Amino acid sequence: MGATAVSVGALGGGTKAIGQAKRPIPTTPIKIAAVSFLTGAAAAPFGIPGDNTYKMCADVINKEGGILGRKIELLSKDENGGVDAQVKLARKLILEDKVDVDLGYISSASCLAVLPLADESGGLIVAYDCGTHELMEGKKSPYEVPNFKLGFRSSAHLGIDNIGLALFIKKYYPNIKKIAGINQDYAWGRDSWLIFETAMKKLMPQVQVVKTLWPPLGNTDFTAHISALIGAEPDIVHSSLWGGDAVTFTKQALGMDYFKKIKMAYSRGEPYPQEVGKDYPEEQIICCAGTHYFLFTPPDKTSAGLQKWFVGEYQKRYGKYPTYPCYHAYQALYAYKNAVEKAAKTAGGWPTIEEIAKAMTGLTFPSPSGNITIREDHNAIEDVLIGISKLTPKYPFPILDPKRMEIFPAAQVNAPVGMRTVDWINSWK
Amino acid sequence: MWVIYTLNGLYFAALLFLTSLGLNIILGVMGILNLAHGSLYAIGAFIAAWTIIQIVGKVPVFILFVSLLSGLVLAGIVGFLMEKSLIRAMYKRTLEYQLLLTFGALLLLEDVIKMIWGGQAYYASAPFELLGKVDILGHVYPIYFLFVMFITFLAGLFIWFFMGRTKLGIMLRAISLDREMATGLGLDIGRLSTFAFVLGSGLAGLAGALVVPTTPALLGIGMEPLILAFIVVVVGGLGSLKGALVGALLVGFTRSFGIAIIPEIELPLLFMIAGIILVVKPQGLFGR
Repeated sequence: MGATAVSVGALGGGTKAIGQAKRPIPTTPIKIAAVSFLTGAAAAPFGIPGDNTYKMCADVINKEGGILGRKIELLSKDENGGVDAQVKLARKLILEDKVDVDLGYISSASCLAVLPLADESGGLIVAYDCGTHELMEGKKSPYEVPNFKLGFRSSAHLGIDNIGLALFIKKYYPNIKKIAGINQDYAWGRDSWLIFETAMKKLMPQVQVVKTLWPPLGNTDFTAHISALIGAEPDIVHSSLWGGDAVTFTKQALGMDYFKKIKMAYSRGEPYPQEVGKDYPEEQIICCAGTHYFLFTPPDKTSAGLQKWFVGEYQKRYGKYPTYPCYHAYQALYAYKNAVEKAAKTAGGWPTIEEIAKAMTGLTFPSPSGNITIREDHNAIEDVLIGISKLTPKYPFPILDPKRMEIFPAAQVNAPVGMRTVDWINSWK
Repeated sequence: MWVIYTLNGLYFAALLFLTSLGLNIILGVMGILNLAHGSLYAIGAFIAAWTIIQIVGKVPVFILFVSLLSGLVLAGIVGFLMEKSLIRAMYKRTLEYQLLLTFGALLLLEDVIKMIWGGQAYYASAPFELLGKVDILGHVYPIYFLFVMFITFLAGLFIWFFMGRTKLGIMLRAISLDREMATGLGLDIGRLSTFAFVLGSGLAGLAGALVVPTTPALLGIGMEPLILAFIVVVVGGLGSLKGALVGALLVGFTRSFGIAIIPEIELPLLFMIAGIILVVKPQGLFGR
């Protein structure tokens, strides 16, 4: 199995170093906190798949002997309850429970509040899913990196989704005249629209924005919004709606024949065809928050092997195909594992948090979606895959039409280190 | 599209009317500000969603719609238990006790819901899908929304008839107008208050049940309806059926047209309207 080959190799390296070790490797388990939405509307499409993946990977790593011989003790925690509760929880995990690392956070609001605690409390925090680009960016370009010494994000931010969408729309729908947006009214939604609008203005300046709607996060009734969008007659509507909101919106919109007239462009829409099922409309533009798609085969052999194992193992355990929160969870856990193993080689024993952080900076490691790199700004960069939903006889929900799929490389959709995404887009020729 | 915006406004207004009617009856007859009113809405939503999910595909379509009444029934039962245990203690107490106790009840009921139904979202869209769509002036409109408006109309009609024409209703109105006089005239305040509380709770539960074919039942579903119901009561006036109707229509249309025309200020607009009315006519448009 691809995964076994990677970890055994790393284990071998760590064990050799022990021979000349100055530091013994503890035999106690590694405490890893994994924070995702376990209750609420975001649980089923998001938090639970993420949590399932943490459990699955921890189980597999433990069966292979753990990290440098230490087993993982996984603490699954609920991200629900608001930002204040999350800050309290993070503090408790780091200071009282003394976790070795806190992997978590789906909501951009959670990330923005919790990441500063990394340096403040001296704990390693790896954000695994939240997307706001503001998390790691400074106020002006160029800005100093990293924003947090002990805070990381093991996935790319929303820049790739929204720049990717703009590039895709320019290629496949060059003649559209009007766009609109419906995004949740908080950092994630506001930032997603900002990047998309900025990119569209650069790439397709002739297109007019006819409506922008801002339902609150957790909104349950989109009837008025759906009618307002139908009334504005856009060609394509951009949306970063996620979790239960995305599912509810789709179901209500289906009831109002919305999709007969309007195409959606979802910046992180990949889980919803499977979540909604065969009723999910075709011809919707769907971005996979990276190249996270169960039918995608990454170009490098190690990653391709990991993908085959990952999809098969997740399906075997949970009866569904993995979606992007799952891939993100994998990345977070394996970013930690790979960083620990890399740091142990130079440390000659179990590394300190600072040494792990140093190893995680600039780290490249294979994953089911391809090689992932975490840059010196402590943020990962990824390629992005975008496609169009299409029903096929083989699957009980729409998949992405293989004939109209695009992968935009990381360099095309991630701003350079130290440069604000908005400034970078505006500097394009 | 203006027809659709109007229909949307009526749809919101219908649900709001049901919820605030319940709140209004309880507030009017008993003088109790029930912060847990939203929890009764939530209970109605959960039981209706859960029931529909259990029986869908196994019973005739008609029964699916009747099962929505489970929301009314369970909320009424919970209301009865609440009134007998908690609310009784509050009649002689001041407002702070009411707020504290009913807020405590809110937190308690939230946890009870979590205990029974867990943290997941319950989607029960069968009734919504089964009724299909209708073409109105070239625009598609879900028939289910018209169904909700119809049920609310019936409920409103029933309450109007009940309050105005039946002995029980007149007794309830008497208590809300002058509690002491009513006691003096020999009315059984205790039993009548319980009845009012059960009626109000049942209406909230019915409103909750009616939304689940379109929106998922999940924790916290009662919060926004509670706040909006308060706005309706403030705007429309305490103790007035007409006020509840006008208030609900005002809030419903503000929401529907606000989002369609000026999305950014839709929420502040609602509170602004409530604020202006509070300043100009503190007892509400039709309040006493």
